[in-house]
Amino acid sequence: MSTQETRERLELLQGTLDLLILRTLIFGSQHGQGIARAIQQTSDGELLVEHGALYPALQRLEERGWISAKWGTSSNNRRARFYSLTAAGRKQLVMETSKWKRLAAAIGRILDPAKEG
Amino acid sequence: MFGRKRQASDFSAEIEAHIQHESERLREQGLSEEEARAAARRSFGNVMQAEERFYESGRWLWWDRLGQDLRFGLRMLARNPGFTVTVVLTLALSIGANTAIFSMVNALLLKNLPYSHPERMGTIYTRVTGPVRSDERHHVNGEQWELLRDNVPALISAVSGIRASGVNLEAGSQVRYVHAGRISVHYLDVLAIHPIIGRNFSDAEDRPHGPKTAILNYGLWRNAFGANPEIPGQTVLLKGEPHTVIGVLPEGAIIPLDADLYTALQPSRQGEGTGTNFEDITRLRDGATWEEADAEINRAWSFRTQRYELENNPGADVTYYSVPLQKGETAGLRPQVLTLMLAAGFILLIACANLAGLTLVRVLRRTPEIATRLALGASRWQIQKQLWIENLLLALVGGIAGVAVGLAALRGLLLLLPEHFLPVADVSLDGRVLAFTLLVSLLTSALYGMLPALTTREFDLRSSIASRHSTGGDRLRLRQALITTEVALTVVLLAASGLFVRTLIHLQTLPPGFNPTGVMTARASLDNVRYHDAAAFRKLLNESTSAMRQIPGVQQAAVGVSLPYERSLITGGIAIGDGKEAGQKVMADEVYTTPDYFAALQIPVLAGRSFTEADGPDTQRVAIVNEMFVRKFFHGPNAIGRYLDKDTMIVGVVENVAMAPGIDPVAPLTSEETMYVPAAQMEVRQLSLLHVWFQPSWIVRTSGPVEGLTAQMQRALASADPNLPFSGFYSMRDLLAKTLATQRVEVALLSAMTALALLLSAVGIFALIANIVTQKTREIGIRLALGSTIRQAMIHIGAPGVRASALGLILGLILCAGALRAMHSVLYGIGVFDAPTLASVILTLGLVTLLATILPTLRIARIDPAKTLREE
Repeated sequence: MSTQETRERLELLQGTLDLLILRTLIFGSQHGQGIARAIQQTSDGELLVEHGALYPALQRLEERGWISAKWGTSSNNRRARFYSLTAAGRKQLVMETSKWKRLAAAIGRILDPAKEG
Repeated sequence: MFGRKRQASDFSAEIEAHIQHESERLREQGLSEEEARAAARRSFGNVMQAEERFYESGRWLWWDRLGQDLRFGLRMLARNPGFTVTVVLTLALSIGANTAIFSMVNALLLKNLPYSHPERMGTIYTRVTGPVRSDERHHVNGEQWELLRDNVPALISAVSGIRASGVNLEAGSQVRYVHAGRISVHYLDVLAIHPIIGRNFSDAEDRPHGPKTAILNYGLWRNAFGANPEIPGQTVLLKGEPHTVIGVLPEGAIIPLDADLYTALQPSRQGEGTGTNFEDITRLRDGATWEEADAEINRAWSFRTQRYELENNPGADVTYYSVPLQKGETAGLRPQVLTLMLAAGFILLIACANLAGLTLVRVLRRTPEIATRLALGASRWQIQKQLWIENLLLALVGGIAGVAVGLAALRGLLLLLPEHFLPVADVSLDGRVLAFTLLVSLLTSALYGMLPALTTREFDLRSSIASRHSTGGDRLRLRQALITTEVALTVVLLAASGLFVRTLIHLQTLPPGFNPTGVMTARASLDNVRYHDAAAFRKLLNESTSAMRQIPGVQQAAVGVSLPYERSLITGGIAIGDGKEAGQKVMADEVYTTPDYFAALQIPVLAGRSFTEADGPDTQRVAIVNEMFVRKFFHGPNAIGRYLDKDTMIVGVVENVAMAPGIDPVAPLTSEETMYVPAAQMEVRQLSLLHVWFQPSWIVRTSGPVEGLTAQMQRALASADPNLPFSGFYSMRDLLAKTLATQRVEVALLSAMTALALLLSAVGIFALIANIVTQKTREIGIRLALGSTIRQAMIHIGAPGVRASALGLILGLILCAGALRAMHSVLYGIGVFDAPTLASVILTLGLVTLLATILPTLRIARIDPAKTLREE
């Protein structure tokens, strides 16, 4: 806990949270807290996901039909709302991922031209 | 779409589950229960905010907000009743004017004719190119009709007489004067109207000298025959001749030639068919195209022996083409209706300019409120939305009021129109008109709302909170520009209606050439076999006029086939009998009269004599011509004693009278070359044809008002022929009004709209100045304290209004130079650039501007400098 608090974490860029949520759900259905934790862990704790921001985002994705949700029971036997990727969501993920990669590569080239050489 | 699938409580439950999961995880890492829960909450952030965002993303909120904005809007409008009432009233009047005029446009030009497949119905236009050009609907003659009927297989064609004429209908013991229309055999087929009882005319009945039959319209069948279903086969006396009723038309059937009953036209090349006395309508047969039809018409009519279109027009070329029947029927009214629609559009623009000014001021007044809301976190979009919602509210209320005003205006307008003025059954507010009104309301609100809404975009929060008054000079200039625009439009309307008024005055004050006061006239139909006998005709005129002379108070009584102010028979081919013009054929109006005609109407006899009782059937044939006839056809000084058609001697010359022209309709009222002949010298052949078209008028001149005059006239006529009803009684003023109906309607409508425009402009200027006075109270106070007189302060404050108006006047006059040229064809007796009209436009506008400027500045006198200075 203490290590996490001393490190300065990166704020999420606008719009990236949606992509990360979709990406996380590719491994199967997950509840909100699990998604938050998964993002934090897979980014080696570099990304700060404000948990409060997560839920409106989930709501938005659900309304767009990219994810679906239903109440179920979690591994530690608690009630939780589980989200899973829909077919439309999968398509969206592919599209967003390639877009994001191109953007990242482009920015990378600008910031560090020599490396790309 | 209105609810959301997920409840807010479900969302809260999910958040609670998250916090529990998170705190459980933290506890596993060794935190105490309390610490874990606190940390979980911390990492979640603001639960309330998340819930709010959830709520905001929902559609509920959208409705909540709209409801809130609406309520707020209504409160704001209610708090400012002066503004609200002004706006709603402005909208109601301008939208009402547009609604009323548009319903006319709709009924006349847009709505389909009330027949099956109206797009397959047409009429024929004649386009003449050459030195004298024309492109219009022509009446056709008997030859044209026969060629059209026989050689144009693509069309079902039919013709009718040009207008219905008054005839006497005798059924059982009653005689009534009815309007009879004459139609050819397939006329009702072209209209696709089938009799509800009985049948249509047959081919045999439509042939010359065929069996005499009649079809009744529904109203006559009910009123005169008690809706008797056994009517087909019964015989009625029409024009004194037995006719068999063969059918009854459906209720509300609309026939272009409006009449109470119809007889077969029996058209041929003879008689009336030698002239263009028929009006054609056509229906495309199944499978044919209009192109085929037009080609067939052009081919058929190229074989004509008599091509009157090409007379006196060397090198001219003529083609014929079909146009939709609707266009043919409404062509005469189209320019007027479109002019009115244009005027109504002007009114709307003027109203928009006014409303834009008013709402602009209101937004500026609300600066503190808007600034406070912005400071409290409202977005600019929310502020804009609020303003737009208030505009839309006003537009809707104004639109609804506009429909009410429009309905009332339309009622008034239709009352104003003479009967059968419009070639349609009714003008109503249908769905299209209502849709138009809604659209106009929204458009208006968008137009006038745009300006104030735009100004809030450049709203500076700091300066608006700091100062109580935020009026830049540019806002004043903007409002002045609005005033200039509306004044310019008003000037155009003012000038246009001024020209119409001048035209009407010119026509109404045209020297009549006779004395129209103290004359009562009545018309009766002599289209009757009893009067296909010259002796019976002479006896009727003699006995009825002498009976009328017996009525106490009556000075003179006479009969003439037509009256001044009316259209009269045109006779062509009158040969000048002698002198150097001998043999020349001329065309003139021909009027038969009894001897007292000139005395009764007090038409001055300029030379020679009037007719006398001595001018009878067996004496020298005589004629009297008017001064214009002499001027036009005789170049010598003395026309008396000269001959027309070899045997007719001119015995007198009379003054020209004002009449509806038939030869060359250059104006609705003018004078034409006229030849008067004694009724006693008319031949039977002429009389029977003439009386098909014209119903002669009995004229009495009284010294003063005579009680029961009309009843006594009817009794006098009955003493000569008990079966001859008068169609109605008309003073000369009635006849003049009837002839000038179109002009009167134009003047009334355009003047009403101009008055509205003027009122709106005055309100605009008034509001501008009143607003400046309010805003500058403090400045005025200082000026007065520093020694300015009230007069100087008034001029200082009023000047922007006067300047804007003056600029508008100049702009408007420049606009007039272009726009009024289009009015050339509807003006009579005055030019397009009429100095008195322009002078009165400038004067009227100047007066209105001064009034609208001075009234609000009067408040300056009540400003107490000391008080205003203390207040700030």
